[in-house]
Amino acid sequence: MRGRASSRDGVFALAVVVAAIVAALGLVACGGDTVGGGNSDEVTTAEGGPVEGKLTISNWPGYMDPGPDNTVAKFEDKTGVQVDYIEDVNENEAFFGKLQPQLEQGESGGRSIFVVTDWMAKQMYDLGYLQEIDHADLPTVFANMRPQLEDPAFDPGRKFSVPWVSGMGGLWVDTAKAPEIRSVNDLFDPKYKGKVTMLGELRETVPLVMLAEGIDPVEATNEDWLNAVDRIGKAAESGQIRRFTGNDYTEDLTAGNIVAAIGWSGDASIVENPNAEWRMPAEGCSLWSDNMVIPVGAPNVGAAFGWMDFIYEPQVNAPLAEYITYIPPVEGVQDLVKPELAKDPLVFPSPQFTAKCTDQDSPPDIEPVNEAWQEVITG
Amino acid sequence: MSLRQRLVPYGLLGPGLLWLIVFFVVPMYFMGELALRSGSLTTGYTFDWAWSNFPDSLAGHTEQIGRSFFYAGTATLLALLIGYPLAYAIAFRAGRFKLLLLFAVIAPFFTTYLIRTIAWKTILSDSSPIVSVLQTLALVPPDGRVLATSGAVIAGLTYNFLPFMILPLYANLERLDLRLVEAAKDLYSSSRQAFLRVTLPLTMPGIVAGVLLTFIPAFGDYINAQLLGGTQQSMVGNVIQSLYLNQRDYPEAAALSFLMMALILAVVSVYIRFAGTGAFMGDEEEAT
Repeated sequence: MRGRASSRDGVFALAVVVAAIVAALGLVACGGDTVGGGNSDEVTTAEGGPVEGKLTISNWPGYMDPGPDNTVAKFEDKTGVQVDYIEDVNENEAFFGKLQPQLEQGESGGRSIFVVTDWMAKQMYDLGYLQEIDHADLPTVFANMRPQLEDPAFDPGRKFSVPWVSGMGGLWVDTAKAPEIRSVNDLFDPKYKGKVTMLGELRETVPLVMLAEGIDPVEATNEDWLNAVDRIGKAAESGQIRRFTGNDYTEDLTAGNIVAAIGWSGDASIVENPNAEWRMPAEGCSLWSDNMVIPVGAPNVGAAFGWMDFIYEPQVNAPLAEYITYIPPVEGVQDLVKPELAKDPLVFPSPQFTAKCTDQDSPPDIEPVNEAWQEVITG
Repeated sequence: MSLRQRLVPYGLLGPGLLWLIVFFVVPMYFMGELALRSGSLTTGYTFDWAWSNFPDSLAGHTEQIGRSFFYAGTATLLALLIGYPLAYAIAFRAGRFKLLLLFAVIAPFFTTYLIRTIAWKTILSDSSPIVSVLQTLALVPPDGRVLATSGAVIAGLTYNFLPFMILPLYANLERLDLRLVEAAKDLYSSSRQAFLRVTLPLTMPGIVAGVLLTFIPAFGDYINAQLLGGTQQSMVGNVIQSLYLNQRDYPEAAALSFLMMALILAVVSVYIRFAGTGAFMGDEEEAT
């Protein structure tokens, strides 16, 4: 009996809560406020200042040499700036998702700099989440930047981004098990069923597949993108593709679970499989940079500029380049690193080496393509 | 009753109520409100009673929802089949090792969930000894694999949520009045009958609690499918993550979360009705 009565009370309480929520919703509907939408009307230029105080930087893991006298420590010694270097960018999408509500309010969560890939930098800029940079504030950066990086399609004239490193998307191959894989098309060969992985990043995997089909990703229509997504989707459904990965394809390669993967040129240090090597796909690779950007609401921009200029000194960048093993953005680093690294075409690629490569880009109309792609990923 | 006496229950209720309002009612309100917005990241999301988000969020995702039920249901059943005998053994047969065994059940929790799941990737990798044993036993085809299959995801879910099954079962079994089992035997019941007609009904509250504690988190889990699954093992949690982080369709992600909550609520209600509310509340009179 007691149970009955209390359950009726429960229903009543629930009804009250529901009524309150509905009433509150009604109030909001009258208010008609909007969440999101960016604050693009108010793009500002970052104001420099003295190089001092505290500086918070968000970067990807593996992008900073370790040890007590690493690059961060050198900068702190030289300038007296206290650096809080955080490695909390694991994925462009996830990082954006985490920070977007703050950026929308014009806050950067205390960060003065973070490092994101080209297209994400562009997306943030278009939403008004980044500040523009006056080249006069960064003399060393713009004196030493490699000429190829000076005028990218996503940011003509480098108005809001400064490259941290560049890299190539292509093929990782276990040469002992599948020596003949040289094209992205080979990944669709039934011989390797369940033994290949692709990256879950739309802008990395799909352009490489389009290149393999002879389509120039820069000129590609939405139709081309959707066709390539469809081809990948069928391969996923048939079990040809084992998984869609982030950086963890390196684990599958190390454990011998796969014979080939779509992966990045600088990951040699984390692939612990002596037979695995990065190969330039016969049809070309994708080229991208991860860029330092200054978000809205960034504190202590003076120290942020000081950091960027410091990183672009070749003597400073050389040890960093030796550790990161991606392509350094600074001219003159090649002469300062260990000879075997200086000869490595994956770290210092010649223009001929990357002749067929394409700058990573987004499809003309992102929404339908991304939706189709996410359906493939979450099959 | 003095005024003070009358206010005491409300005072005692206060902290819990406050907690519920701040961490449940308020977030639910904002999520509900978000689920009724429409727009995109660039135009902003405007509140306009967009009920269409709810059917839209289901479209194309029924497969993952069905899969979530299947995976979580299988994992719960397996956890019950593994957990019940284990809890029974710890409660009645472990003697002085009782505490040690309980500790062994809880010990994996000292490592984070993520690390434990990643460890399974190594244990189940294609060239691992365990997989070759399974191949020799013909449980896995010679060129087959364990990782990146449904089996791996279900195994991961079972492993990760097993303690949630064992602990309520143990707590319930430990309280069991063994004199009732003795009485059953005195009345000429076999061991099997005594178990089925005395022990099992009396431990229904533990089973119900264990099943709920296992099924509900397993249903919404996405880590196991992401790390141990392949391309065709995504669960509804992965879909919500993708909607939220990759497609940035916040309203649809919120709508789908709400629908899943409603679905779970419906399933749990039916289950409790079927198992008897008394069993859930620990009211033995109603349970029998």
